[in-house]
Amino acid sequence: MAEMNIPQGGGKKGHKKVRSKKMSTRVDLTAMVDLGFLLITFFMLATTFNKPKTMEVNKPAKEDKIDKKDEPPIKMSKTVSLMLGDNDKVYWYISPDEIDANTQLTLDSVDYSPTGLRKVIQRRQNEVQAQWGKKDDLFVMIKPLPKSKVKNTVDVLDEMTINGVTRYAILQPNDPIDSLVALQVGQSRK
Amino acid sequence: MPKVKIPRKSTTIDMTAMCDVAFLLLTFFILTTKFRAQEVVQIEIPPSTAQVPIPDKDIMMFNIATDGRIFFGLDDQNTRLKLLDRLANAYQIEFTPKQKDAFRTLELWGMDIRLLPGFLDKDPNERANTIQPGLKIDTTGGAQIEDLILFSRQENNNLRIAIKADKSTEYKSFDKLIEALQNRKVNKFNIVTSARAGKE
Repeated sequence: MAEMNIPQGGGKKGHKKVRSKKMSTRVDLTAMVDLGFLLITFFMLATTFNKPKTMEVNKPAKEDKIDKKDEPPIKMSKTVSLMLGDNDKVYWYISPDEIDANTQLTLDSVDYSPTGLRKVIQRRQNEVQAQWGKKDDLFVMIKPLPKSKVKNTVDVLDEMTINGVTRYAILQPNDPIDSLVALQVGQSRK
Repeated sequence: MPKVKIPRKSTTIDMTAMCDVAFLLLTFFILTTKFRAQEVVQIEIPPSTAQVPIPDKDIMMFNIATDGRIFFGLDDQNTRLKLLDRLANAYQIEFTPKQKDAFRTLELWGMDIRLLPGFLDKDPNERANTIQPGLKIDTTGGAQIEDLILFSRQENNNLRIAIKADKSTEYKSFDKLIEALQNRKVNKFNIVTSARAGKE
């Protein structure tokens, strides 16, 4: 450790000149290094390094002024509807273009794994490509039911990014088919 | 043969360089540190492949706990004060300077605005241990939340909305918050997620 030599009574020797002792300028830095590293450890532990990421979501504006008739309706054969239910299940169906008494609707449920939802989206992309010539024409309607978890919504949005689906929207499940589906899977849609 | 004398070497090492390094690192950490905000409620954010980091400033943060309680926070202390003034006006509440100061340092809170003065009177430790009831959105709508959104955005036009929801929060509570946002003409917001390793 650092030591200090204090000259004691060295100057009382007759007529000799008082000579101050040359002291070493070296200081023991061990303690300072200790302190430095201690503080580093503290700051490292207190820092948040991994900044959370964000996912931007745009919702269609709630404009009551827009006349529904001005917007051309989207061809249902270009779409796929995903209804997010509880217990990590996605119910998906394709609405028919025209609904009449003979319309049959197939409803299937998958999970959020790469073999589940991703397969459905990819298959649908290929179907749309075959029918309309462009993969990007696929429009995914995401309809989360109230009992689904936030994680599910994030997973689905993620799946859109992974599969390169550019057209999708989070919608309220409020067309008649949705009510039927919700009823089928035993959930209210509100 | 004469004995070979091994010269005794001093065991002291020159610490100067090590000291330099230690303090250099220390400076770096001090400058880059952003302290973890005190968590009012434990929230486990869902993982995603999104890569956009959360912006540093102009953030209006909403937290939704697993049980649907909603918490609100602004990142800038000046905006917080301005917001409190407007709230005081709108809800006819008088805040003492001490309460205002307490509010200035409040990262995140969630309760009926009329309960705020009582909460702010507590000392910081007690405040951290109080369980906050969360902002309410009931059947009649989230009037207070909408006011908060409106006032904050009037004070700072560049505010971006970040929603931090626990991954097992029900969509119902999330949807209610979004509806409140949309009622105030906010159609763009960010969901806070954690980075997922690779594309599983």
